[in-house]
Amino acid sequence: MSETMPGKLVVPADPYDYAFDIATTALVIIDMQADFCGPGGYVDAMGYDLSLTACAVEPIKRLLDVVRQTGMTVIHTREGHRPDLSDCPPNKLWRSQRIGAGIGDEGPLGRILIRGQQGWDIIPELAPAPDEIIIDKPGKGSFYATDLELILHRKGITHLILTGITTDVCVHTTMREANDRGLECLLLEDCTGATDFDNYRHAIKMVKMQGGVFGTVSDSRALITVLEAQ
Amino acid sequence: MPVVSALPYAFSFEPEKTALLIIDMQRDFLEPGGFGEMLGNDVSQLRTTIEPIREVLERFRQQQLLVIHTREGHRPDLTDLPASKRSRGNLSCGIGDVGPMGRILVRGEAGHAIIDELQPLPNEPVIDKPGKGSFYATDLQTILQNHGITSLIVTGVTTEVCVHTTVREANDRGYECLVLTDCVASYFPEFQRVALEMIAAQGGIFGWTTSSEALITAFEKEPS
Repeated sequence: MSETMPGKLVVPADPYDYAFDIATTALVIIDMQADFCGPGGYVDAMGYDLSLTACAVEPIKRLLDVVRQTGMTVIHTREGHRPDLSDCPPNKLWRSQRIGAGIGDEGPLGRILIRGQQGWDIIPELAPAPDEIIIDKPGKGSFYATDLELILHRKGITHLILTGITTDVCVHTTMREANDRGLECLLLEDCTGATDFDNYRHAIKMVKMQGGVFGTVSDSRALITVLEAQ
Repeated sequence: MPVVSALPYAFSFEPEKTALLIIDMQRDFLEPGGFGEMLGNDVSQLRTTIEPIREVLERFRQQQLLVIHTREGHRPDLTDLPASKRSRGNLSCGIGDVGPMGRILVRGEAGHAIIDELQPLPNEPVIDKPGKGSFYATDLQTILQNHGITSLIVTGVTTEVCVHTTVREANDRGYECLVLTDCVASYFPEFQRVALEMIAAQGGIFGWTTSSEALITAFEKEPS
């Protein structure tokens, strides 16, 4: 057995180095929406420490600037629901109302988690370019009830580089879905964040267990170094 | 519980657990001058479904039951269009190209829209699907689950392509499907006949078939 994965480019990562080719890899930016990481958004208004999720913005932006020059596929996701809530499971709705943030209720930036509302949109710093793919997802995972798998298949993508928020919820669910579908995943630990730091720390650790049970972990600096050496 | 006389045997359903599915009643498939006609098809064969679907739709709306519309089409950048689907048919003017009603099978274009006679109401979910089946790469299943739907009344076009693929997907997921024979149509009469027979064959291997009149009669006998 070879010690390294096949692929032209290699990023130092833990627990194994991540080898990939630009043409078969996508950078996935998960749920960098105003309500989750923007000033005046829902997380901010609830009194959570915004820096725990907003800390991912700058590293993702620096990485995105470099990635856009390489021609690598970029995919953005947004969690949200149809205005009529027909795609919102009753238990998700009930739980959100119970903590005072009912999906579809008026929030600080429009109806909470509803497609088309200001709080639901991706923050301006990371606004998708016209040729970048946007996936609207009703769940935590980016594959469930979306066309993501079809698009990856269509483009011949076999590797995903994961960034975004929150680490323990949407990033982890997406990484697990991708891993079960045979996609090779790299998580960039400075490009992700959670509303609870301990959850963030443990979510990163869980990926690395058992020789990389869901993939491998690196950071944006290591990836940028490799991309710029191209 | 309403009972509809149907093949291969009577179909019973609880209205509040039943959704009306209207598949791909889009301008490009049904209107003269659209993509369907451009490919040499006689669209009048499909237009016979409009009036019966409208009558069934009216009953569902009156009783405030769930109605779901689907549209086949792709993202403007065609990232959800398999290469095999694009090249199929060796067409000089195919999916994504500018056709008689805008870019063919592209979301937001005039030909992609649902025909005026069956325009969805704001509270009726519209499913945009890249394939023939309505479940693949869409949020249809989560919407059905959220509404507690167990049975589907299936209408739309074309019988052997998108209707059949959707019914097969639904059947494998445990939904009871009743296909309304006068509310589905094909460009090819022999496919229409045999596709409907296939659904009710072997004791209803994919579901049931009946006419829109039989369904409306059942509704009127037992209004919910």
